[in-house]
Amino acid sequence: MGLFSCKECVDVLRAYLDGEMSPEEQAHLKAHLGDCPPCVDFLEQYKATPGLCKKALAAKMPEELAHKLKAYLREKTKPA
Amino acid sequence: MDTAAEHSGIAGAGSAGDDAGDELLRRAQEGDVAAFEALVEREQDKVYGLALRMTRSEADAAEIAQDTFFSAYQHLKDFRGRAAFGSWVHRIAANNALMRLRHRRVVAKSEEALAEPGFNPMGILSRPPEQWERPADEQVIDAELGSAIERATDRLPEGYREVFLLKDVEGLSYEQIAEITGDSVPAIKSRLHRARLALREAIDQFYSEK
Repeated sequence: MGLFSCKECVDVLRAYLDGEMSPEEQAHLKAHLGDCPPCVDFLEQYKATPGLCKKALAAKMPEELAHKLKAYLREKTKPA
Repeated sequence: MDTAAEHSGIAGAGSAGDDAGDELLRRAQEGDVAAFEALVEREQDKVYGLALRMTRSEADAAEIAQDTFFSAYQHLKDFRGRAAFGSWVHRIAANNALMRLRHRRVVAKSEEALAEPGFNPMGILSRPPEQWERPADEQVIDAELGSAIERATDRLPEGYREVFLLKDVEGLSYEQIAEITGDSVPAIKSRLHRARLALREAIDQFYSEK
């Protein structure tokens, strides 16, 4: 396999981060990253994306719903 | 509806509960309703959030939360505690949300709808990324960025959104997601990668327009 292009580099990022690449593939990827600052930025952004999304998607159960849930479970768990 | 996977006690996202949680669980398993209510309070935001993101419906999320905790209560004594209580109820919630989605029979958006980075014919990135690659824990999510991420997540085709939420937000393993969704691990990995690329594009687009 020759040196990676940017596209090939992007295609393997998940496998790279999950440790699923062969030593040879890793060497090609690292060679590309050593010579391509935009792909280094891209890799760092790919790594940061899940954490950013997790923060942004955190939701709080509305208080009224939390009360309803409690009442529902109390009714359902009442001894017969 | 329950599934065998929900009650199998397979370790979830957290491999063990914290001490206070373990004590609450022990008391709840002995029939202490107040202890069960305390466990519910600890997990209700995450269960609701997962259901809301998966179904994109507040009404569905509310029902899923009710069904999830009631199902957990019914099977509390079967829970063997190898996983944290939180991981267990999150898996029940994910199952419930998936069943609801399947029931809706929503026509999945085509894969072509997923945003991806552009490349020139030589395979070189056609546009350098914006500068926002600091780790997530060093970044403040303002309301605008939060909305952009929510919209981008909602735009993901269903099978991609659920994999992303279960893996990157809930922290389930590929094998656990395969068990819940019935999809193969390679298919899940491929969807996760494309979902991450689409969300990265959306965040990059947000910063390029700022």
